[in-house]
Amino acid sequence: MRKYLFIFKTQIISNLQYVGNVLIGFIGNFVMLFILFNLWKYLYSDPSELINGYNMFQMTWYVIITELLWMSLGGRKLVGKISEDVITGNVAYNINKPYSYVGYVLATHLGDIFIKSIVLSILFMITGLVFLGGFPSLTLVNVLVIILTMILATVISTLFASSIGLLAFFFENSRSFWWLYSKFILILGTIFPIEFFPGVLQKILSFSPVFVSSYGPAKLFVDFSWSTAWEILLAQLIYLAISYGICEFIYRKGVRKINVNGG
Amino acid sequence: MSVIEVKNLSKTFKVKIKDKGLKGSLKAIFKPKYKLVKAVKSIDFSVEKGEMVAFIGPNGAGKSTTIKMLTSILYPDKGKIKVMGLDPAKDRKKLAYEIGTMFGQKEQLWTHLSPYDNFKFFGAIFDIPEPVVEKKIKELSMLFELDEFINTPVRNLSLGQRIRCEIVASLIHEPKILFLDEPTIGLDPVVKENIRTLIKRMNKEYKTTIFLTSHDVGDIEKLCKRVIIVNDGQIVLDDSMENLKYHYLNKKIVDAKMKEKINLDDEDGITILKDKGYNLKIEVDITKRSISDALKLLNPDNIIDINISNVPLEDIIANIYKSKK
Repeated sequence: MRKYLFIFKTQIISNLQYVGNVLIGFIGNFVMLFILFNLWKYLYSDPSELINGYNMFQMTWYVIITELLWMSLGGRKLVGKISEDVITGNVAYNINKPYSYVGYVLATHLGDIFIKSIVLSILFMITGLVFLGGFPSLTLVNVLVIILTMILATVISTLFASSIGLLAFFFENSRSFWWLYSKFILILGTIFPIEFFPGVLQKILSFSPVFVSSYGPAKLFVDFSWSTAWEILLAQLIYLAISYGICEFIYRKGVRKINVNGG
Repeated sequence: MSVIEVKNLSKTFKVKIKDKGLKGSLKAIFKPKYKLVKAVKSIDFSVEKGEMVAFIGPNGAGKSTTIKMLTSILYPDKGKIKVMGLDPAKDRKKLAYEIGTMFGQKEQLWTHLSPYDNFKFFGAIFDIPEPVVEKKIKELSMLFELDEFINTPVRNLSLGQRIRCEIVASLIHEPKILFLDEPTIGLDPVVKENIRTLIKRMNKEYKTTIFLTSHDVGDIEKLCKRVIIVNDGQIVLDDSMENLKYHYLNKKIVDAKMKEKINLDDEDGITILKDKGYNLKIEVDITKRSISDALKLLNPDNIIDINISNVPLEDIIANIYKSKK
């Protein structure tokens, strides 16, 4: 474990100089949030009105949290980097090191987005506060549980993104799989909570990655209950094992197919 | 004691091919065609502890593929490999602690970090206790003369400095064997010489076995006592450097630009390769004629510019084939 923590720490040190880029990137996120905020303001004729169990305050905070999770993840960049490494054969140079490749990717990516996530969290919270004038009422323990679910959500999403990137071992363009996956997460759990979908779809979504990587932490933030928290944490642990297993499986199958440029 | 044993080793790559133009690209989607490229064809060799072996050959000869199979990066199709008694395809992690690798065309250092932070990183991934890493960094930075730039981000280092740091990074965990794949590629002659001296010093100091691939004859001449030459995936020569020098590296090419035209004919130990008036290219057989002798014939005062080089590796291989027939 010490080596993965060291990889994580090294990546943070290596990325410290890019804090400015996060601030610039946030401008785009802010515009997006502003549009969504106005959209919900238009749809809710009365802010206390409930649509599928959410009032406007909850709905807007829901979107802020899911957007924060999505923006912090940097999934497209990760998929692009891994598939490029597979295509060029660069992935091979990690093979003969004494660590697990999946562990290495996880540690580097989490280190890569660590500072960005903290900066974005602060900026998104300020944005929410400006738009809505306050936070949902949460205790310190509630907040810590929510942070834990957000970290787990990011780890699971990183593992799914890595698995999709590693599909480059078998398909020439794995980025198109990410495009599909990201649209699935975005529409069915980021912009709208799963309660907005028909009954059958809701059931399916509550077993899908949407529940653990996007909906769960945001739902807890806007409407915390311990029963939901345990349900989400349990589902996240199951998904953690599944996503790690998938990633490791694809890597092990793919690594035998490596062709390294120049031999 | 053999630290590397290779028997009947083969590797074939499946390479996608497509016809020209849009039609070819469309056809390749529905009916992809592949060709098999035999990169390594049933080779055998072994390396003893503490040896410095050069594994050389022209581009595409199969040397990098072989080194990558020895270091567990590529899986062999056929044959057996034992490195420090381990099978690289099965015991990857165990083997990683026993060997060090440095690929001249691939940087393993984190470019935004200083060499010092990089070395600490490599120490951590090889589970080396902190005080031991510190001691090792001190020792190696003295041996490889890194003190001046050990705290400068790697991206700001010159290529020669970076290569030195790359070698040190692969030595942090005290490997028993160091695999160097084209360590001097892209370096100028002075830096090349410097790197070679440091590699030699390291071999002497730590008794590390060195397995080096290169297509630079100079690397091998200066460093290794044993040479394995590969061409087209096969070993064409496995001999001592002394024998290679005596039989095949006994010729130098002298390329000179002259102030005035001179009349020179083929004579014992001198062969005219090109004579274009002011530009002259001759081959000197140093077993028969010394270079200084050859230069006297050209008259040093008459020379504007001169380049003395080894016979290209491709020519040496051609000679080996000829002599075997």
